[in-house]
Amino acid sequence: MVSVMEVCELLERSAIGTDIRESTLLFPFIEGAHVLALSLSVGLILITDLRLMGVVMRNRATSEIWSQFFPWMMSGFGVMFLTGSLLFWSHALSAYHSAAFRAKLVLLILSGLNAAIYHITIYRKLDQWDASPVPPMQARLAGWTSLVLWAGVITMGRIMAYTF
Amino acid sequence: MASIYPFFAWCERTWICRQITVHESFFPALETIHLFGLVLLLGTIAILSLRLLGLLMPRQPIPELAGALGRYTALGLAIMLPSGMLMFVATAVRCYGNTSFWVKMCFLTAALVFHFTYFKKALRSPDSQYSQLHARLAACGALLLWFGVGASGRSIGFFG
Repeated sequence: MVSVMEVCELLERSAIGTDIRESTLLFPFIEGAHVLALSLSVGLILITDLRLMGVVMRNRATSEIWSQFFPWMMSGFGVMFLTGSLLFWSHALSAYHSAAFRAKLVLLILSGLNAAIYHITIYRKLDQWDASPVPPMQARLAGWTSLVLWAGVITMGRIMAYTF
Repeated sequence: MASIYPFFAWCERTWICRQITVHESFFPALETIHLFGLVLLLGTIAILSLRLLGLLMPRQPIPELAGALGRYTALGLAIMLPSGMLMFVATAVRCYGNTSFWVKMCFLTAALVFHFTYFKKALRSPDSQYSQLHARLAACGALLLWFGVGASGRSIGFFG
C-alpha cells in the first residue's frame, strides 16, 4: 500500500510535474488562468450567495439567478479545477506538507457540504420562497456560510503559494 | 522619464513601506485583500459584460442589473486601489524596473477611462434605444481591458 505522501512525491517528480514547475511560461500562465477564473467561479457564487442572503437583486427569483449563473459558474469552476490540478501536480509534495493547502482542501469540502445540505433541505421547498425578496433563515445562513468559506479558500490559496 | 525615479525611491523610504517590510504578514495580507477586491470587481464586470452580450439574465433590463451590481464593482475598486497602492509603495523600486508593472498601469488607465465613459453609458441606456453593436463593443472592451489588468498584474510577480 503506497501512502498519500508517496503518491504526491511521484506526481511532483513525474515528467509532467517537473515540466510545469520548471517552465518559465507555462507555470505563470496556468497560475494566471487560475487567478482570473476566480471572477467567474467565486465572483458568480458571491452574487448568488448575496441573493440567498436577501441582499442583492431582491426583485428577481432565486431560481432565475441560479439557472442563469449556473453554466458560467461551472465553466469558471472547470477552469479552476483543471488549472488547480496542474498546479498541484507540479508541487504535490510541497502541497502535501503545506498546512495552508490542507486547510484549503478542508474548506473546499465544507463548502461542498454546505451546498449539499442546502440542496437537500430548504431548496426542496424552493417553490414556497423562490420569489421572496428575503429568503428564509436557513437559506440566508447557507449564503453566509458559503461566503465565509470561499473567503477562507482564497486566503489559504494565497498563503500556500508562500510555503512552496 | 528619469525624473520620476526619485519618487519611486522616496516611496521605499516612507514609514508605510518600512511597516509593510518589517511585518512579514502585511504583504501577504494585502495580496489576499487585493484578491477579494478582484473577485468583486472582475466578477461583476464579467456578469455585466455577459448581460450586454445577451448571454446572461436576458429578461432583466440592463440598467436594472447595473443598478444592482454597480455598487459591488465600486466596492471591488475601493478595495483594490488602496491595497494595490500599499503594495506599490512597499515595492516601488522593483516596480520601476518591472515591465509588467508599466503594462498593468497602461491597462488600468485605459480600463478606468473606458469603464467610466463608454461602459457606463452602455449600462445606462435602455435596451431598446441602444445599438447592439455598441453594447457588444462595450462588453468586449471591458472584458479585454480588465482581464488585461489582471493578467499583467499577476505577471508582476513572475516576470521582470
